[in-house]
Amino acid sequence: MEYTKEKKVGEGTYAVVYLGSQHSTGRKIAVKEIKTSEFKDGLDMSAIREVKYLQEMQHPNVIELVDIFMAYDNLNLVLEFLPTDLEVVIKDKSILFTPADIKAWMLMTLRGVYHCHRNFILHRDLKPNNLLFSPDGQIKVADFGLARAIPAPHEILTSNVVTRWYRAPELLFGAKHYTSAIDIWSVGVIFAELMLRIPYLPGQNDVDQMEVTFRALGTPTDRAWPEVSSFTSYNKLQIYPPPSRDELRKRFIAASEYALDFMCGMLTMNPQKRWNAIECLESDYFKELPPPSDPSTIKIRS
Amino acid sequence: MTDVQVIEESATNAVTANVVENEKEAPAKSSAENNKPPNYKRISDDDLYRHSSQYRMWSYTREQLEEKRVDTNSRAVASIEEDLLKFRQAHNLIEEEVKILEAKAIPLTMEEELSLVNFYAKKVQVIAQHLNLPTEVVATSISFFRRFYLENSVMHIDPKSIVHTTIFLACKSENYFISVDSFAQKAKSTRESIIKYEFKLLESLKFSLLNHHPYKPLHGFFLDIQNVLYGKVDLNYMGQIYDRCKKRITGALLTDVVYLYTPPQITLATLLIEDEALVTRYLEMKFPSKEKIQEQEPELEPETEKKEAQNDESKIEKDDDQGIENDKPSIDSAKLLAVIMECKELIEETAPLSTEDAKRIAAKNYYCQNPSSLIQKLKRKMNEDTSAAEKRQKI
Repeated sequence: MEYTKEKKVGEGTYAVVYLGSQHSTGRKIAVKEIKTSEFKDGLDMSAIREVKYLQEMQHPNVIELVDIFMAYDNLNLVLEFLPTDLEVVIKDKSILFTPADIKAWMLMTLRGVYHCHRNFILHRDLKPNNLLFSPDGQIKVADFGLARAIPAPHEILTSNVVTRWYRAPELLFGAKHYTSAIDIWSVGVIFAELMLRIPYLPGQNDVDQMEVTFRALGTPTDRAWPEVSSFTSYNKLQIYPPPSRDELRKRFIAASEYALDFMCGMLTMNPQKRWNAIECLESDYFKELPPPSDPSTIKIRS
Repeated sequence: MTDVQVIEESATNAVTANVVENEKEAPAKSSAENNKPPNYKRISDDDLYRHSSQYRMWSYTREQLEEKRVDTNSRAVASIEEDLLKFRQAHNLIEEEVKILEAKAIPLTMEEELSLVNFYAKKVQVIAQHLNLPTEVVATSISFFRRFYLENSVMHIDPKSIVHTTIFLACKSENYFISVDSFAQKAKSTRESIIKYEFKLLESLKFSLLNHHPYKPLHGFFLDIQNVLYGKVDLNYMGQIYDRCKKRITGALLTDVVYLYTPPQITLATLLIEDEALVTRYLEMKFPSKEKIQEQEPELEPETEKKEAQNDESKIEKDDDQGIENDKPSIDSAKLLAVIMECKELIEETAPLSTEDAKRIAAKNYYCQNPSSLIQKLKRKMNEDTSAAEKRQKI
């Protein structure tokens, strides 16, 4: 057997994750064992998506699919070993991180996201919990169980994607068509969360999520986002004004002007005006001081 | 660290260098131009395609493809012959029985296997279309089915038993979920028979599920031809060409061009079949020869890079020589035309198998796997003959 499963580290709805090692190299790995017997429709869609998209991507900031094998009628994905994730790091108050550290993480995250988008893949579930850390501090975009190909213009999609707090306004409105801009919104919310160290838009339920989102960032209007009022759920909305620059400065005390521009670019209501991954990567935020930290020097274990 | 260097830095990390390539970075470019990392390289759409599993695992030269089929076939033949030998040793066969075995229970040749696979691949298409599945799902079904039989022999797994499985998996892979029960009902099959080989199928597909079909390039060319030949093509006419090419592409998926050429090349080949003059004119305008470039310096969009020949490694080297400033795709329209001509010929020369021939091959396939049925059939016939003879004697 080329791989050993040494310790069970997690169990999700469709998979069990084990830590183990690769026999021939001694390399530490994680094995995601897909529970197959429980699905009457054969191979589960999440498993299929994960296999399908991870096969296509080789990038320093996307989780590496080392191997796939079948054993005892189970599908096993061998993934690189990633000891922690951004959610754990944010929550662990004993870990201190600097604006330069945040910049390094945003850079790596956006490189990974950009690689997905240029391969015509939408992630659809970006959140701190799905941004994993390698032992040398690299961020890896992981969990492609909700991913899909960037749709053709006429394709009808489900808006029931992305974990609630990171859900873009078009999804909150139940849009049947959306683009890679939904992933950028999630990155924007993650950026805000990194600066605040608490979730930025923590809606209690789907209705509350709209309330929380628009109270923080202003209710979109037809002027900024043509025809936004034609979404059926728009009528019931409380209209909040967008926050002034000063209000944002007060909320994000440590943020530079360029950092705020960067955040506002990603958290633009109108998906067509929202920054794309290239615009984000080329923003002045990454070019001004301080330079992003060297990932391997950031302390992410308490 | 300054400027775009920050973004380009990780290019040192991997083959898939992580460089932001784009045209809009003009202001930063001048200052960063001189301090690019030594291994700076723009990632082209070609590079991305070369990293796709379709290219890495399912693209071959003609020789490799032939070799693969010979290999799959000869392994199956060897095991079938062994089984037949065992059968003959285990049964005390009379001369007539040996004779009929030698005449009818013969393993299939590689060519016969291929014909049978393509015959059933067409069936996959017909069934998938009958189920009203979207074009891409139909295409993926065909692709899965044919790839499965690059790895497996029809002598080991009957094509009939895998037809529904491939369509069912293609639906799921293309995000077009149908529950197995309603699929079974629509396809007049059973849950068990659909699911039975799903793992085997996934494994044979080497877990590579993402297909790049030529339909997206078709849409791209459809728009770009109108752009490049603005005012010289009729919109209605282009619409007709588009619809006809879409059908031709589905047809091309039943041939070996999918293993030998890139999706945009296949698209151009189908366009060539429809209107050779149009494509030639388009390519000449799109990729003018060197002298013409100096005359007019046309703007080339980066997407054109997709369309160059997949195995044309020389192109990359050329780009490197020219440096980054001069990274316009250097595509030789004559060379490209020659490649897609070859592709077109292969599409046109692939003849479908007649149902009769398919039946003949399928029968052979059945007998070599089930020699006992052949013997029983012979016995029945001999009994009938003797009883008929007895009857005649009585008369």
